[in-house]
Amino acid sequence: MFHIHVPRLAKGFGCSFFLVLGIASQAPAQGPAAAYPPYGSAIPVITNTEHRSGAVGEDTQKMPPPNGPNEESIWNMKVEGFNDNQARPIYQPLIVNQNGREIMYNGNLSGTAMNPLTGVSESNGTSIIDVTNVKRPKFLFHIPGPDPINGSFAAAGAQMVRVCPGSSMPNAAANGIAGKFFLLRAFGNAGANESHQIWDVTEPSAPKFLTTIISGLSNTHKSWWECDTGIAYLVAGSKSDGWQQSGSTQHVYIYDLSNPAKPQFIRQFGLPGQQPTASVATQQPCLNAPSDTCFEGTTNPPGGVHGPISMGTVVNRVYMPYGVGSSGVIQIDDRMKLINGCKATGPGSNPNASPNCQNSPTQADLLWPQVSWVTMNPENGGHSSMPVFNVPIPEAQSNFGDGTPESKSLLFVSSEGTANNCFGQAPHDAWILDIANEQTPWPMATLNVPQFPGNFCGKGARFGAHAVTEQIYPPYYGKIISVSWFNAGVRVWDIRDPKNPKPLAYFIQAPTSNTAASCSTINGVTNCFNATMNDYVEYDDRGFIYAADRAGTGVTILSLTGEARNAILPQSEQ
Amino acid sequence: MRIQMLVYCAGLALCFLGTTAARSEDGWAKVIPPPSVDTISAAKLAKVQPGTSTKTEVQALLGAPWRILQFNDCGMSMPGQADESWDYRGRNAKGTYRVHIEFDDSDVARFDDSDVARLVAKIPDRAAGTKGTRAKTAPPDMKVAMKM
Repeated sequence: MFHIHVPRLAKGFGCSFFLVLGIASQAPAQGPAAAYPPYGSAIPVITNTEHRSGAVGEDTQKMPPPNGPNEESIWNMKVEGFNDNQARPIYQPLIVNQNGREIMYNGNLSGTAMNPLTGVSESNGTSIIDVTNVKRPKFLFHIPGPDPINGSFAAAGAQMVRVCPGSSMPNAAANGIAGKFFLLRAFGNAGANESHQIWDVTEPSAPKFLTTIISGLSNTHKSWWECDTGIAYLVAGSKSDGWQQSGSTQHVYIYDLSNPAKPQFIRQFGLPGQQPTASVATQQPCLNAPSDTCFEGTTNPPGGVHGPISMGTVVNRVYMPYGVGSSGVIQIDDRMKLINGCKATGPGSNPNASPNCQNSPTQADLLWPQVSWVTMNPENGGHSSMPVFNVPIPEAQSNFGDGTPESKSLLFVSSEGTANNCFGQAPHDAWILDIANEQTPWPMATLNVPQFPGNFCGKGARFGAHAVTEQIYPPYYGKIISVSWFNAGVRVWDIRDPKNPKPLAYFIQAPTSNTAASCSTINGVTNCFNATMNDYVEYDDRGFIYAADRAGTGVTILSLTGEARNAILPQSEQ
Repeated sequence: MRIQMLVYCAGLALCFLGTTAARSEDGWAKVIPPPSVDTISAAKLAKVQPGTSTKTEVQALLGAPWRILQFNDCGMSMPGQADESWDYRGRNAKGTYRVHIEFDDSDVARFDDSDVARLVAKIPDRAAGTKGTRAKTAPPDMKVAMKM
């Protein structure tokens, strides 16, 4: 199932990991100088706070059933604040500490809505909300998205957001970006001329357009931007670059954005079998017919990448989920080799790189940075792949191996449920993979939300996993994990005993008059429902949890209470 | 003439609501309330026909929508789901509601000129239970015609 291409890497990884621990122990726990990805490259240290009997030995909490479909349901969480996001449907939220102000950036799905600040109906773009006071969030600005094409909004929207402080970039002073903040956003979703843009958001209530990184794109999607190096992994497709995918047609464009005004192209990247020169008509699966012209996964050509996550320079890994909701592949890449693999000299370089490696790589060029890959079943795709490093295993603190306390590095993977009322598709879950030996990732546990109680397939909209939280908040790191689960809301698990993840908290937003209807046809009858869909859940650097609604209901700001709060406390305070 | 005045007044009311909200101290923390009058008559709504009514015709009948939505991402609509939907808000004796009109579906090529309504539903904001609200859709044979 797994393909190994870079031997001996695990040893290097192990050494660098101790270095990470050393750095992280001195890193600030919060604030704009946070040292963790994507702002830095340190990784928080996780201390074991579980009894050796783990989750199995604890009193099992009984998860309460949700209320009726029109009501809010909440367990071990508290609502701190709310903003309606101008009734725009949110895809990706991101909360950034800008010199003490907590600013929320929401990438919105396409459409239009009235902007009461301007009195104009604006194409959905990027919402900017000051959430410093969570009790009273203040909508500061809406940067419109693209205009419709031929009257259709199918190509519009600006779903994705990343923000970096200029001060954390290399050569910040020389480039005149110290003290500034920059927004990277997708501009359009599926048109023939979509792009990725950079805006100066130093003053978030008055953002200024800076530059277009790349245009002529289609299918822009979820990007990643390393704020300490400037390296950005932009996701998009193009109707003219020749890359080949099934389903969602997108791959990775890597840029150096350390000087945001002057983007520097590095290379394009994707899964073997997607490159422009791949012979889709004849290529066979690498799984059982490996060759120098095969495709990874179960679909030919493989499904597009959803959103890379880089863990920075020290860990030196990039995690890439492909396929989104079906026929997925999870790929682990060596970051240095990924960035420098088209160069002939220097760290990570490939002396055998092909002449067209940057834009039209060979399979060998694509395999150069690949550490390993996991083929998912056809029912599930790769939507999120977020690692958590060195999680203590409670039962293995003294009695296994040589008695040394054992920890595991984990990869949290989710597929995406895409059907309203579950009709026509299998359940979509999230999983914990053991990546302690990263050449051979291995399943450890499933994160599942049962359909009952709650009758989630009957309440309308989508039901199933979507996205794993990506922001690192050290007190939560390795203790809890949050996953957005569409109409089943925000779901939080206790992962201190990762072999036995325990449901710990949830929040399901009640529909309002802003909630968009979700309609589905089952057995020839079409019904429409009012149901919220938690699209993404994200943390800020104070530990507040943001539930963003895909159905236009807004964003709810939450905190942990009860047992969920206890789970993040040191053992002495539990 | 009377209907035009009604639409005009409703528009003014919406503008007023927006202005009021703009001055609220908590920066739009509250949901903008729906209009206080029923701006969508049953007779007009009945003229919106799935399978035949175009965006232009819908707009001529009902005016500009309160909100346009497109739920899709990754550049594609999901099977059986609309590429684009228009929402209108209204109020009647039973409470507030939305008129939800969907255009296209995943079987219709994107970026073409296909702008025919595929579904119309009048949905109470506080729909009870999990049955949902029955929508009006095009007859099956007309759906086939739409795909062509």
